[in-house]
Amino acid sequence: MKFSVNWLREFVDLPKNPEDIAELLTRAGIETKNIETRGANIDNVIVSQITASSRHPDADRLTVCEVDDGGGTKRQIVCGATNYKVGDKVPLALPGAKLPNGTEIRKSKLRGVESEGMLCSPIELGLGEDASGLLILSPDARVGAPIADLFPADTILDVEVTPNRADLLSHFGLAREIAALSGSSFRAERSEVEESRRKPQGKATGSLDYARDDGLVTIAATRECPFFSLRKIDNVKVGPSPQWLRAKIESVGVRSINNIVDISNFVMLELGQPTHAFDADKLNGGINVRLARDGEKFLALDRKTYSLNPDNCVIADQKRAVGIGGVMGGEETGVTDLTKNILLEAAYFLPASIRRTARALNLQSDASYRFERGVDPDTILRASQRAAELMGEIAGGTPAKEIHVAGELPADPADVSLSYEKCSRVIGIAIDPKTVDEILTRFGLRKTAGTNQSATWKIPSYRRDLQRDVDLIEEVLRSYGIDKIPGRTRGRFMPTSAADSSHDVETLFLRHRLTGSGLSEVRTSKLISRSAMASDKALELRNPLSEDHVALRPNLISGLLEVLERNIRVGAESVSIFEIGRAFIPPSGKEERHLGILLWGNVESAPNWRSQTRRSLDLFDLKSALKCVIPNLSFRPGQFPDFALAVDICSADERIGFGGQLVASKSSAPSPVLVAELNADRFLDRVASAKKFQELDRYPSITRDIAMIVPEKLTHVEILRAIQEPAEPLLESVQLFDLFEIGKGVTATASGKSLAYRLTYRAKNRTLTNEEVATVHAKIRERLKLELGATLRE
Amino acid sequence: MHPLEQLRDDALREIAAARDEKSLEGVRVEYLGKSGSISEWGERMKTLGKEERPVVGKLLNQARKAVTAALDQRAGKVRADKESDALASIDVSLPGTPHNTGSLHPLHQMHERGIQIFRRMGFALAEGPDIETEWYCFDALNTPPDHPARNEQDTFYLPDGRLLRTHTSTVQIRAMESAPPPIRVIASGAAYRRDELDATHSPQFHQIEGLYVDENVSVADLKGELEFFMRELFGADSEVQFRPHFFPFTEPSLEVYVRSKALKGGEQWIEVAGCGIVHPAVFEAVNKARGDNAYDPEKWSGYAFGLGMDRLAMILFEIPDIRLFSQNDLRFLKQFA
Repeated sequence: MKFSVNWLREFVDLPKNPEDIAELLTRAGIETKNIETRGANIDNVIVSQITASSRHPDADRLTVCEVDDGGGTKRQIVCGATNYKVGDKVPLALPGAKLPNGTEIRKSKLRGVESEGMLCSPIELGLGEDASGLLILSPDARVGAPIADLFPADTILDVEVTPNRADLLSHFGLAREIAALSGSSFRAERSEVEESRRKPQGKATGSLDYARDDGLVTIAATRECPFFSLRKIDNVKVGPSPQWLRAKIESVGVRSINNIVDISNFVMLELGQPTHAFDADKLNGGINVRLARDGEKFLALDRKTYSLNPDNCVIADQKRAVGIGGVMGGEETGVTDLTKNILLEAAYFLPASIRRTARALNLQSDASYRFERGVDPDTILRASQRAAELMGEIAGGTPAKEIHVAGELPADPADVSLSYEKCSRVIGIAIDPKTVDEILTRFGLRKTAGTNQSATWKIPSYRRDLQRDVDLIEEVLRSYGIDKIPGRTRGRFMPTSAADSSHDVETLFLRHRLTGSGLSEVRTSKLISRSAMASDKALELRNPLSEDHVALRPNLISGLLEVLERNIRVGAESVSIFEIGRAFIPPSGKEERHLGILLWGNVESAPNWRSQTRRSLDLFDLKSALKCVIPNLSFRPGQFPDFALAVDICSADERIGFGGQLVASKSSAPSPVLVAELNADRFLDRVASAKKFQELDRYPSITRDIAMIVPEKLTHVEILRAIQEPAEPLLESVQLFDLFEIGKGVTATASGKSLAYRLTYRAKNRTLTNEEVATVHAKIRERLKLELGATLRE
Repeated sequence: MHPLEQLRDDALREIAAARDEKSLEGVRVEYLGKSGSISEWGERMKTLGKEERPVVGKLLNQARKAVTAALDQRAGKVRADKESDALASIDVSLPGTPHNTGSLHPLHQMHERGIQIFRRMGFALAEGPDIETEWYCFDALNTPPDHPARNEQDTFYLPDGRLLRTHTSTVQIRAMESAPPPIRVIASGAAYRRDELDATHSPQFHQIEGLYVDENVSVADLKGELEFFMRELFGADSEVQFRPHFFPFTEPSLEVYVRSKALKGGEQWIEVAGCGIVHPAVFEAVNKARGDNAYDPEKWSGYAFGLGMDRLAMILFEIPDIRLFSQNDLRFLKQFA
């Protein structure tokens, strides 16, 4: 909310420097987001009145005005605006004036016509953003008066009020808070200075009578609207507001409409209580506050029609709804230039109900903003009275002697007890009970009972956020000053949690190893787009905001593919990425920790002088990336849609994921795209299991190679098995070191493939002899011939 | 001078002049070979008289030793020269053999920095799901229906009424439900807000949440420990300021501001965290769920805090656009390798 410093000063003495006010508030938890200097503190700009206007002889878009500058002479001014009529009062920059934007005004000729100054728009005077036409001043402005008299210099604070502090949503309320924080005195009544600037026009109001149960006001919806009041003000003259009123509300960003509406807004900005003025002659009979009927239509002041339901509380006459209670009045019964008699509403609405209605209708107003945070019951009638007085003074109306009320004001907030010991305990240093009392008293609390240990406090009606002892402690802390509390470190040691272990395993065994093998970690959005959803079943959001984020990702692969596309678009030649994160498995959205890997492109990320390898990454690169994180890894052929080559990925005979090579149509990549997606929760505990020392080899090994030609269908695993089973104790390891497919059709007999293995033999306790190895090796060669029909090469 | 001494000096001169192994071998054969001029003196000695023989023998020995040593030394030098001559043509400014290096995501690195510091401060990790119920996200956190801070408009809902957590504070409730006090945990993870994606907003963002419940935990503890954390994270020069604020689940509530060279050059106070003393209503909600009075608000107190990690990473790494995190352009990621 925006606050005028001049306005605040009517209630409290403030530091001279606006930055100091902002600092005082900000350090007390009322953040000042912006400080803005306002006002037309410009010499040689005065109020003038347009007395005649004619077309410029040589320019269609210009007019020649004759204006009265208050000095007895008429000036001729050339002007480009069209929003005025003869008789309007407008700001005139005289020759010699220097405008805030730097323009210097001189006597000049515009298309051959003399111009003795310039008529100004709001933006030219630094009084707003409006550049569409002249600033039309109030008719009561004195011709010849300096413009600075109409727009006194002011500072506007843009303050962020937290939702618990409804009491700060008015100049009166913020001033009261500043007084409590700074210790300066608070003037609950308006200052004499301010009062003397007004010329009372209406009759002073005498003492006020309450009229109950006279049929003018009834409340059916007593829960949503516990209290409602109406005051008649007869014979008002609706018209423009006086300059001071206009300047005041406009300074904090509220547009001036007419004197009646402006007064209502002024009172809300001053006291925090919204009021509403009905055109009394357009109402049909008395007012009833009730719940809306299902489907009831309502044309609001914003000229939109709302369809209501029994969750909404409406102000109705005997025929129809004339206002959405606490949110917005109706267009048909609003104040117009022809309005003669007013019914002025001031009420209390249940915050929760206002909130629901405003949200459901997507209709937020200054009134709903305050009602949903809770207005001060003690201010309701005061605001009504203040508005009635002003309507008398400014609009010449006659407020009725009585005010019609229905319902009961909400009860006073309950007393709160506070133990001084607890106050010190929560804050962390001993705070003297006297200091506590002093602070709470400054905030308007009253001690009703107390001992050395604790006290009971009466809470002012405007501080309904103070409900428990901790709320009072916060007031003490805020006022005492957090800077004065010395920080303390002690701490406590917690044993490693399951989440700790899982984090560490993930970091050490997945992230570090994968980055070590050259893969980069990515983080894709867990919310996926409508188009990404097309290919995957996913748990959808009920209320997505845009088509880009409509569901929770069921897997990581789709996100990785998007990363691939983006990187190909920007010219990457190779993409090796992984992601570790949650996937949400439909239909329930079960959360699993997944590892996704995507490989694409050349083995070398860029051509380089050391290597001529321009091989594309393939399935076996994927396998080696996985092998560095998963023990006992095996690939088994599988079948999935969208995969040209699909494998189930297993570890120790458990399927932990899937992967393979995507069909080419799944991406724009010109070479194979390899992906894998694994459920990390299924293998991480295995990765991390403790390792045991194995003795280092003390005797040399002997190696023997076997080269063979086997039928094409025979797999590596089958050959391995033939070599390794039955187990030969001397055989330590087997390594495939050469493989090539023999071209089909060269000769009928030569089809198949050629493989070469290196077998390493070693004994744990002695140096092997060539003879020992020859015997075992011959056995294995025999097995290959007999069991696999392999043709061995010498 | 004895002729042997003359031969020795000649040999040494020739050795010193030799430029390669071949000429060295020539010198060796010439002087020390079977019929080399020094070797010949071995035969000649037999013809000498008894008195002369030992003198010549000694000279012969010395000559052999000196020449052999000189040959070895020179040979070593010639070989070394040859080796370095062979490599002299190598351009040492050529780039090293390329190696594909991976990188960790900058957001992960940011989380990891925070986690490491908190763990040194004795915090254990805790976890909770991204999909939550209204109870964990709002009700248990003292934000009943119709509370102005319960912003359903800004919350993503699932068709079954569950929602995506709007903050990681949900983990506070889960941690307290599963263990009695004392408790000292942090949680790191994603949270969601119904925002359009632009340079500074993202519907998915990331937080580190913390909770410490013990006897007599006070504002002073919260202040001291978060000050410590901030100086660890942003540097010892960091100034830390606490300003009152409002959160439904803490009372008093505070916002933490830091001014440090690491943050935009230290020109301004930057808001880095929200925190406060756990609201007794939160303990009461946890007790209700637990069915006991383990978190008796009169006996235990606690502090809680939350840090927005995307924003911190953006400020610390000077990243101008939050979308860079989810776009994963490798040119961006590799900058943080």
